[in-house]
Amino acid sequence: MDQSIASTGFGAPPARRPKHRTGRVDRLRENAGSWLFLFPAVLFFFGYQVYPIFRVIWISFTDYQFLSDKPAKWIWFDNYIDALSDPLMWSSLWRAMYFTILFLPGCIILPLMLAVLVDRVKTPRLAAFYRVILLIPAVIPSTLVFVLWKWMYNYQVGPINHLLVDTLGIFDLQTAPQWLGGTPLTLPSIAIMEVWWGLGYHAIFFLAGLAAIPKDLPEAARIDGASEWQVFWHITRPRLAPIMMILVVLRFGSAMAVIDEYLIFGGFNRATPTYTWTIYMYDEAFKTGLWRQGLGAAIGMIGAVAMMIVVLVLLRVFRPKD
Amino acid sequence: MAKRREQEHLLQQASRQQLLGGRIDRREFLTRSLVAGLGMAGIGTVAKSSLTPALAADRPLTPTFYQWIEDLHPSIPKVNAKFPGLNYQIAPVEGFGIERFVAESKKGESTWDVYAGQTPFVEMSAMIKAGVIEPWDNYIPKEVIDDIIPSIRAECTVDGKLYSWPFLLDVITMGSHSGITKKAGVADIPATWDDFLANAKKIQESKAAPFGATFDAHGWRSVAPMAHSLNSNVYTSEGLFDFTSDQAIAALELMKKIMAVSHPDILLEGASDGGVNGTPDEVAFAAERVGYQVKYQNAPLRMAHNWKDPNQLRLGPMPKFANGEGSTVFWTTGCALFKHGKNKEKAAEYIKALTYDRQIWKDSIAGTETGHPGQMPPYKSVYAEWAANKPDWMPEFVGLVRTQLDKARAINNHLFGLQQFVIGKPIWETFLKGEEPNPKVAMQKVVDAVHAEMKRAG
Repeated sequence: MDQSIASTGFGAPPARRPKHRTGRVDRLRENAGSWLFLFPAVLFFFGYQVYPIFRVIWISFTDYQFLSDKPAKWIWFDNYIDALSDPLMWSSLWRAMYFTILFLPGCIILPLMLAVLVDRVKTPRLAAFYRVILLIPAVIPSTLVFVLWKWMYNYQVGPINHLLVDTLGIFDLQTAPQWLGGTPLTLPSIAIMEVWWGLGYHAIFFLAGLAAIPKDLPEAARIDGASEWQVFWHITRPRLAPIMMILVVLRFGSAMAVIDEYLIFGGFNRATPTYTWTIYMYDEAFKTGLWRQGLGAAIGMIGAVAMMIVVLVLLRVFRPKD
Repeated sequence: MAKRREQEHLLQQASRQQLLGGRIDRREFLTRSLVAGLGMAGIGTVAKSSLTPALAADRPLTPTFYQWIEDLHPSIPKVNAKFPGLNYQIAPVEGFGIERFVAESKKGESTWDVYAGQTPFVEMSAMIKAGVIEPWDNYIPKEVIDDIIPSIRAECTVDGKLYSWPFLLDVITMGSHSGITKKAGVADIPATWDDFLANAKKIQESKAAPFGATFDAHGWRSVAPMAHSLNSNVYTSEGLFDFTSDQAIAALELMKKIMAVSHPDILLEGASDGGVNGTPDEVAFAAERVGYQVKYQNAPLRMAHNWKDPNQLRLGPMPKFANGEGSTVFWTTGCALFKHGKNKEKAAEYIKALTYDRQIWKDSIAGTETGHPGQMPPYKSVYAEWAANKPDWMPEFVGLVRTQLDKARAINNHLFGLQQFVIGKPIWETFLKGEEPNPKVAMQKVVDAVHAEMKRAG
């Protein structure tokens, strides 16, 4: 073994070390530098990720109320029983799932189609132009996106209803669609906004995947007489599967846990479709009564566990087959 | 670096004064001196608990305002200019959230000294319960406390102590578009709900506007004031709104009748501040599509700013039931004094200057290029001054709103003061949407739901 590599601490220990214990101490000493560099990240990881998770788990087993000066009491599974026996828990979980079902196909299929089309553009300048156009929504700050779409969807003065009522005359002022604010159209409307917002961002993922596919593969298939659909289905799609899996898992998590959009578009009205488990959790933890954060934490844990179960299923469904 | 040295010096000075004043012992003084001398961020963080009070003692007066107050009242910086060194800040309270205040209070700290943006029935009970705020009684001058209009003083008082120094007054009134009412040949300000409904119907039938009337569907802006217009004695012994009272039932039935002459999206949530602002009634009124709007006076004023001719706005008292007392709901947005804040005497001095500032009131009532909130002062002396010598910029609505205030009543302060309406809204709306035919059944369900949530909250 090259001594210079071994001395950095990354290589295997020299074979002539006499005792096992001495070897371990030496290894620790040799790795000390690495641990020193890792320390800030480890500290951050434990301080900002591990500790809060365990803290929330602990709170979920107590009757902790933020506004109360009484010390928190350990109440075992009472909060979980309370939450699970509340129909609002189930309806709010279902609402989040419904939004995810609406959103997820749009955030995978549309960007994939767009990426395939953009990838076929041969002129470099035109290809760059399309990429920039695609990325514009992704760089707009969230607040602006919400303001823009709130105006677009406005029942009385929004351009969509203006088109439907005043221009096309399909509806009148009494029958025009109510896009936001608690109607059954609210979640589909928000899903459309989210798909538009993430279109370019998700397409870039697929474009990166497409760039990694050797060009001779589809060309050889075409020479052998494969149709464009067959090329896509048998060559492109399987090679984009890992990217698809990453996107599905990431976006499933973010769709189930949406809170900002729901707070902005729906508020705390418990009958609205935007009152999902995230709002329910926030409502109990920061709005209602003495702020029952024990219950809020339990609602959060239930939501997180439900999400994890689905993520495991998704990982299995989208696992690489070859 | 220079700034850090300056901070270290300030810290040393503050600690020295506290040592000489007997507020800290030598050990604490040495600890602080060591930390200040080392000036290391890490040690500073560890010693934060002992440093914060020392730094806070010497900090300038630090008020924090809800963003909308600054947006609507452009003269506030002029008052601030009279207080050199004032550390004016915007509060982290989006959607009326007070989490940050409570979290700091639990650690015995407060970044700020005074908060302008507290609405008593919304968050004052929670702030008191959590020990975030303390009463103003030890700091507010007696002549000021005596100058507050009695009903407002009652609104801001809990257990005989003034927990909110009132600033901006809003009263639920009625706004009308005189261009639309004239075209329909109906009165600008109908006196009774029967006239209001008949006029709204005429507006629609005559096609003067697509919709006759509108209201804000949030309970504290519709159910409560409409119930008050019949009789304001509508609160239970525990301080909650009595949803099953005759007044509340009458209000709910009235809302359903108004909906028949209104825009279909009237019950939908608003577009900002967790759905409570940017509501559909405001959009309809701003778009000149509705004749009458029932809401606090600053809403129609702000909306009329979007009209082709804002002078067509008329404001008047909210209509009443034929046999009703003609009351309404009012609230003030006031200032809270942080228990763990500093500069309390100075804070009182500042809030007095702010709330008596004539330019703020002129801009609010007469409007400026940037806005027209129409919010009004809480003091008897200011109205008396205007009555004795009416300014040329004074619009008529001020007298009308002031007169309403004599009959108006604030929603009771309670931990569920606002929350009861939030919980109840989707339930009473089952009657408004026709899903539940009996309003009493719907309102009983509201009571049950509010009680269930209170029971859960212990």
